[in-house]
Amino acid sequence: MTRGYAPDRGRSGHDSASTPDPHLTAVDAPPAARARGLRKVFGSTVAVDGVDLDVPSGAVLGMLGPNGSGKTTLIRLLLGLTRPTAGSAELLGMPMPDRAAAVLPRVGALVEGPGFHPFLSGRENLRRVAAAEPLLRTREIPRAVDAALERVGLADAANRPYRGYSLGMKERLGLAGALLLPRRLVVLDEPTNGLDPAGTRDVRAIIAELHADGATVVVSSHLLTEVEATCTHVAVLQSGALIAAGELHTLLDAGTTGLVVSTPDVDLALHTLRGIGAAVYRDEAEPSAVVVPDGPSAPEVVALLVRAGVAVHEARRRRPRLEELFARLTEGTP
Amino acid sequence: MTALDTGVPKAAPFTRLLAAEVRWVLRRPRTLVMLGLFALIPVLIAIGVRVADRQAGPGRGLIGAVAGNGLVLPVAAMTVALGLLLPLAVAMAAADAIAGEAAAGTLRGLLLAPVGRLRLVVVKASGVLVVAAAAVLALAVVGVLAGLLVVGGPPGQLVTLSGSTIGTTEALGRVTLVALWTVGQLAAVGAVALAVSAFTEHPLVVLAAVLGGLIIFGVLGAIPALDWLQPVLLTSGWTAGVDALRDPMPLDGLADATLRALWYLAAGAAVVVLRMLRRDA
Amino acid sequence: MVQAEGMAGRRNRGRSVAAGVVTTIAVGLGLLVSTGAAGAQPQLPPIAPEELVRSVLSAPNPGPFNGTVELQNGLGLPALPELPQAGNGTSTARIWSGGEDRGRVALPTDSGERTLVSDGTTFWAWNSADRTVVRRPIDQAARQEDRPADPTAAATRAIEQLRATSTVAVDGTAEVAGRDAYELVLTPAPTERTLLREVRVAVDAEKRMPLRLTVLSTGSPDPALRVGFTELTFGPQDPALFTFTPPPGATVTDAPARGPQEGPERTTVGDGWDRVVIARRPADATTTPSPDAPDLSSVGSPVSGPWGSGRLITSTVGTAIVTDDGRLAAGAVPEQVVTEALSR
Repeated sequence: MTRGYAPDRGRSGHDSASTPDPHLTAVDAPPAARARGLRKVFGSTVAVDGVDLDVPSGAVLGMLGPNGSGKTTLIRLLLGLTRPTAGSAELLGMPMPDRAAAVLPRVGALVEGPGFHPFLSGRENLRRVAAAEPLLRTREIPRAVDAALERVGLADAANRPYRGYSLGMKERLGLAGALLLPRRLVVLDEPTNGLDPAGTRDVRAIIAELHADGATVVVSSHLLTEVEATCTHVAVLQSGALIAAGELHTLLDAGTTGLVVSTPDVDLALHTLRGIGAAVYRDEAEPSAVVVPDGPSAPEVVALLVRAGVAVHEARRRRPRLEELFARLTEGTP
Repeated sequence: MTALDTGVPKAAPFTRLLAAEVRWVLRRPRTLVMLGLFALIPVLIAIGVRVADRQAGPGRGLIGAVAGNGLVLPVAAMTVALGLLLPLAVAMAAADAIAGEAAAGTLRGLLLAPVGRLRLVVVKASGVLVVAAAAVLALAVVGVLAGLLVVGGPPGQLVTLSGSTIGTTEALGRVTLVALWTVGQLAAVGAVALAVSAFTEHPLVVLAAVLGGLIIFGVLGAIPALDWLQPVLLTSGWTAGVDALRDPMPLDGLADATLRALWYLAAGAAVVVLRMLRRDA
Repeated sequence: MVQAEGMAGRRNRGRSVAAGVVTTIAVGLGLLVSTGAAGAQPQLPPIAPEELVRSVLSAPNPGPFNGTVELQNGLGLPALPELPQAGNGTSTARIWSGGEDRGRVALPTDSGERTLVSDGTTFWAWNSADRTVVRRPIDQAARQEDRPADPTAAATRAIEQLRATSTVAVDGTAEVAGRDAYELVLTPAPTERTLLREVRVAVDAEKRMPLRLTVLSTGSPDPALRVGFTELTFGPQDPALFTFTPPPGATVTDAPARGPQEGPERTTVGDGWDRVVIARRPADATTTPSPDAPDLSSVGSPVSGPWGSGRLITSTVGTAIVTDDGRLAAGAVPEQVVTEALSR
């Protein structure tokens, strides 16, 4: 029953959240995005199947799932680009797509890759997008466009035709389109597609900036490390269904079992612990550490090792990487 | 509920949207190539008429009527182009306006800005109309110039098909009337093409639909047993522009064709609006 | 709605087709509704057929008018290059009448126009296709020949020639070109050997001017020929309409005045419905056909008999034989009647 936050549990979740800026998640703020029983059927394909999800205001939500799991469709439903077959979607407290005109000016989005015209330059493309932005005054447009280009590192290529852009530059321009003006919610669908490591770092930095400014960010990705590095919350989709959602560290802690013990005396530690029947093994990620899964309690293990003469440098609860969590979650369901 | 509703404009200024659309339409390379080709049509007809004129007497048909009668050229050029090239140009503009934007992923961007869906239809229709007007303008202006400079004719006069002679001012007035009437017919084509465009992401589908429609209408219009269909076929009134070359000028043909175009325009517009209000992006 | 949504986005091609069909149907229905309004039959005081015929033949000149005439041709004749109106189909003409002798007829085609102007003393025939003008002094006696597209003249002639051998009746009323009219019906007497079933003439109730002539042949419910006004407005006309100045670049040729004694030599056999007209072409006309007399040498099928040999041209309303020795015999009759006439 990890299907999102129940409406009443949402607030207590906020209270115990370890978001860096607690004031951003004021108790009475509506969720930045909310789905209730959201379902979308294309012909005989169920793309999104009964999703309940709350994205707390100020959160950075990573939406995970294999290709075809419904991430993009869920994002399109939330943004009002397509109508749900059943259920309802809300953005910033207002129903979508009915209140799209009131909500979307405050929302920046990059969905299904950047969409621009090849014969126009990056700057001209952005100006065309900016002309449609309700919150931009006409005289502010040139400055807003230049600032957005600067922010995504495209200032030098701004006058080149979009046709000649690399995949990464196109993605950056798409990002710039979402960041033309300050947003309360930014939705990024696979924003690091085609980006080199430096580009990925830049996107992370931008997400961190948005988060620091108090904006809510929803970012879908199949790159788990990226999500782990930038997100406060996670939603995992599979076959259109939400199979896990919540704060990142809560989810990771829930999967926690056992201890990781750092020691130079790995072999002795393994020998000692196997002596009491623990299924201990060497940590693949850290050669000078052993992993103690379920079994003896932490004080017990440390005391045993110290008695056996093993030099214990550090003993900590084992936090699985998101990758493991994801693998466990998606393997368990069809 | 929140500050979202207060103190912010509900939508971007309409004129700004319109200006952005027109700028986009006129920056598109294929629009420019197309306008260049339309400017070339009267020139080619003029040169052809001059060459043929030296070899033999005036030929039959509308092009033949241009020989030694330069001010007929703009009307002849518009009438000839209305048969196929102008509708295709408008279909291309309509294809790019919705299907093309959907294919490029830019339609989503506009809807996310957000541009209201009804406004989007109006903006898109305006863009198509600008292309139609620009193409007709190219034909008319270059037609008048090429007619006067290359073909020549009785100085400052136009010999009508009825054998009378009218002055430059009236001739230019009639050219203007035919140009406006042609844009009206193209607006009907554009509305239908936009309706198709609203249903697809493939611009070629729109071109194929319009081309197919022209062919089917042409065939239906040529079958005598289907004479009763004539009042329904948009294309059956497309030679009415020639009426501007008659004296006195009959207005029935032009008026009938305009009325017919209005029906197509209304039907096309209704389909576009209904579809775009629900279209996924 | 759920189903429609489900299809959206994934089945665009099918929907495009559907959209096209829907658009076409919508447009079609709209046009049918807009043009389908039928005129009701006007209520007019009853009139005796003989009185109606008399009033037509003695009606005063209706005065200046302008109108549009539509010719619906179902004769089944081949279309001639010089005279596209001869082929099956609909053609229109615009007519202006300035009163007695002055008139103008415009015969438009898709890309050109023939204009016939009579200014009272001179008849002008302009053809835009080759920019030629034929100029001919008007002979008063032959005036009617110069009004080829005038349904009034044609119908009046038909009444004159057929009334003696016909049953004449008034078959209700009709609305023609927005004017109230009586439908005069002439049916051939049983002794007449003709291909025609009846001739209907719509006569303007006020001016007693024929507005429409309909010719029906035996064995066909559709008119073989229908010529009538679709628009008609009485009132003074711009005098400039009844003058013609050859435009710059036009070739002007002068034709001699055509009197009743000139042109083809003409004899008639029989009278009324089964009248056959035999014309002998002038010797020079066979080599240089004039624009008024289309070249018939290429149409029809070969036929021969005691009278000689020639080419037979048949249509739903009549038969014509062009003999090899330059005679033309024609009438609204079966072939046998024509050959009998030629054999005399």
